[in-house]
Amino acid sequence: MNDASDDELVARVALGDEAACGLLVDRHLTRMLALARRMLGNQADAEEVAQEVFLRVWTHASRWEPGRAQFGTWLHRVATNLCLDRLRRHGTEDIDSIPEPVSDDPTPHEELEQSDLARRVEMALQTLPARQRAAVTLTHYQGLTNIEAAETLGVSVEAVESLLGRARRQLRLALATERDEWLRKTRV
Amino acid sequence: MAMIETDMTLERLSELVDAYGASALRWPTGERAGAETLLARSAEARALVARAADLDRLLDMAPHEAPSADLVARIMAARPRAASGQVVSIRTAGRSPWRAVARAVWPYGSPAFPAGALAASIMLGIGLGVLAPSTLSTLGLTTTVATSSATTGTGDQLVSLALAENDYPEEWKQ
Repeated sequence: MNDASDDELVARVALGDEAACGLLVDRHLTRMLALARRMLGNQADAEEVAQEVFLRVWTHASRWEPGRAQFGTWLHRVATNLCLDRLRRHGTEDIDSIPEPVSDDPTPHEELEQSDLARRVEMALQTLPARQRAAVTLTHYQGLTNIEAAETLGVSVEAVESLLGRARRQLRLALATERDEWLRKTRV
Repeated sequence: MAMIETDMTLERLSELVDAYGASALRWPTGERAGAETLLARSAEARALVARAADLDRLLDMAPHEAPSADLVARIMAARPRAASGQVVSIRTAGRSPWRAVARAVWPYGSPAFPAGALAASIMLGIGLGVLAPSTLSTLGLTTTVATSSATTGTGDQLVSLALAENDYPEEWKQ
C-alpha cells in the first residue's frame, strides 16, 4: 500500500482503513505542521491547526473526488485558510508574545547561537503581514510553485509575486544585522 | 530557444530573485531557462543571485519541530472507523438505489427541493380532489388550499418537506 496514490488512500480512509490513515499522516503531517508553524510562530498553535487539517480529511474523505484536485494542494489550502482565520480572529499578531531571542551576548555554545538565530528569523517572519507570510511560507518553505501558491491563496500569480517581493524586502531589512553576523561567522 | 535567451533581462531577473530567491527551482517554470542562460553569461546577474542566497540561507534557519507522538496519536484516535456510524452511513447513502435514481432525475445538486415539491404537489392534488367541485366554484382557490392543508393532518409537514426545512433525512441535503 506504500506506493498507493493519495487519492487511493483517501478512498480507503473513508472505509475506515487504519493503515491508510496512518500512511496519509506519515506523508503529510510534517509538512502541514511546518506550514502552520511558519504562519503562527509557535508549536502549540501549529499542532492544533495540523490536527484540525486531518480532522477535515477524516470528515470529508467519503466525498473526495479523485482527479478533481491534487490532494496535497487541497491540504495546503485548508491549512493556510485555517491559519489565516486564526490570525484574523486573534487580530494583529502580538509580537510581544513571541519569546525574545536568548540573548544578544555572545555564547560559547554554537548550538545555542544557532537556535538564537533561528528564533530571530522566526520573529522576523511573524512581523510580516499574514498574506505576505503565507506567500513566503508556501513558496520558500513548502516548495509550492507560484501557480500552486496562487491557487492556494485564491489570488493571481502576479499578486503572489508582488506579495513575495514585499515580504522578502521587509525580511532583508529585519534580518540585516543577523545577516551580517552570520556572514562574519561563516566567511571568516 | 533564442527567444528565451533574449527575453530575460537583468531587470526581470532582479524581480524574480527579489520575489522567489536565489534557487532556480523556485522561479516560474517558463522563465527558468532564460534566467539560467543570462546567469551563465552575466557576472552582474550572478551577483544578484548571490545576494538573494544570503537571505535564503537565513530563512532556512527558521526553527521547525517534528510532529510529536502525542499529536499523531490524537489525529489517529479521531480517524474514521469501519464500524462508526458516520462513515458507514455516508457510504451507504452514496450507494443507495434512491440516490442513484435521484441523481438521474435531478442532477443539479440536492434532490431535497424537487422531492419535497413533488410530494407537496401530490398532497395538494389529493386535497383538491377530496373537496367537491362545487366547493371550488364557490370558494376562492386560496381559501381552498388553506382548508386542504388544514384538513389533511399532514399539511404542515408537507410544507416543511417542500421547503426542505427540517426533519428531512440528512443525506438528502448533502
